Amino acid sequence: MSCDAFNRMASAYLDGELADDDRRRFEDHLAACDACRQELAELKRLTEDLDMMQFKEPGDEELARYWSGVYNRLERGLGWILFSVGAILTLCYGAFRIIENLIRDETVSNVLKVGVCALIAGLVVLFVSLLRERLVVRKVDRYSKEVDR
Amino acid sequence: MDETEAVLIRRCQAGEKEAFEPIVRKYAGRATGAAAVLLGCPQEAQDASQEAFVRAWRHIERFRTDAPFYPWYSAILRNICRSRLRRRARRKTVSLPDGYAAPTSDGDPVMLAEQNERRRHLFQAILSLQSMFREILLMKHFQDMSYKEMAEALDIPIGTVMSRLHNARRALGEALSGDES
Repeated sequence: MSCDAFNRMASAYLDGELADDDRRRFEDHLAACDACRQELAELKRLTEDLDMMQFKEPGDEELARYWSGVYNRLERGLGWILFSVGAILTLCYGAFRIIENLIRDETVSNVLKVGVCALIAGLVVLFVSLLRERLVVRKVDRYSKEVDR
Repeated sequence: MDETEAVLIRRCQAGEKEAFEPIVRKYAGRATGAAAVLLGCPQEAQDASQEAFVRAWRHIERFRTDAPFYPWYSAILRNICRSRLRRRARRKTVSLPDGYAAPTSDGDPVMLAEQNERRRHLFQAILSLQSMFREILLMKHFQDMSYKEMAEALDIPIGTVMSRLHNARRALGEALSGDES
């Protein structure tokens, strides 16, 4: 086994993830190569240091603040949903009434009426297009499925 | 999952927010630490980990109580951190490198259980790596995942896990030796 191939397997060897055949070939190479033994020893030291690291557990006060932050967001989530639904309904109704009045008003020129209708149609097309794009991204994004386990 | 946790999750699924508190408290530390590593930025970690808990709550009815909670939560957290990294890359207004090592001032939140100069140094070096290296080091060394579990979580072959992890360790070794020289 060449030193280059050895390098690629060193981490898996240390983690006990090499198949038996590969491990034996790896150890044969190791027995014959000082440079690789040295490199493996350095990698082992680093791996042991990494294995010793753990995240600290926050104190009670910190945890209370943390939970409070999560709880506030949970509450606000419902508020935002209601606000958004209300805003959408109000805006849609208002826009509908304005356009209705505009179209029925005989003093307004036809060019303006056509312009406003084109504007609304454009907005609808853009909205549908964006919505479709988001849905497609969600479908192909493997991480979006993580919540479905 | 232990029985108590399964009971709590079932209460959460019934809409009891109070039942979510012990779960959040149990995992807050490791979640914030994981977010710090994934984002390469301890200052943003708490916010990201809280956002992940909120998203987990919103989808809690889809969670199967016979599976452990943390791996499921952890996948949501990874997703959120990836989105934040993508947004950060798009903004490009702040010239932070991919891995942003926070300055080691006294107020710097290093999230390690046992701290000494060498570990602080090592943690900073991890944060300075590129995101895919930070991610795989987190999975292996802080979450103790096997190669098979990492391959499934990242949706990559085991051979890629092997080479990515090895490259990550080498990059970390180089970052450490670069700092020392």
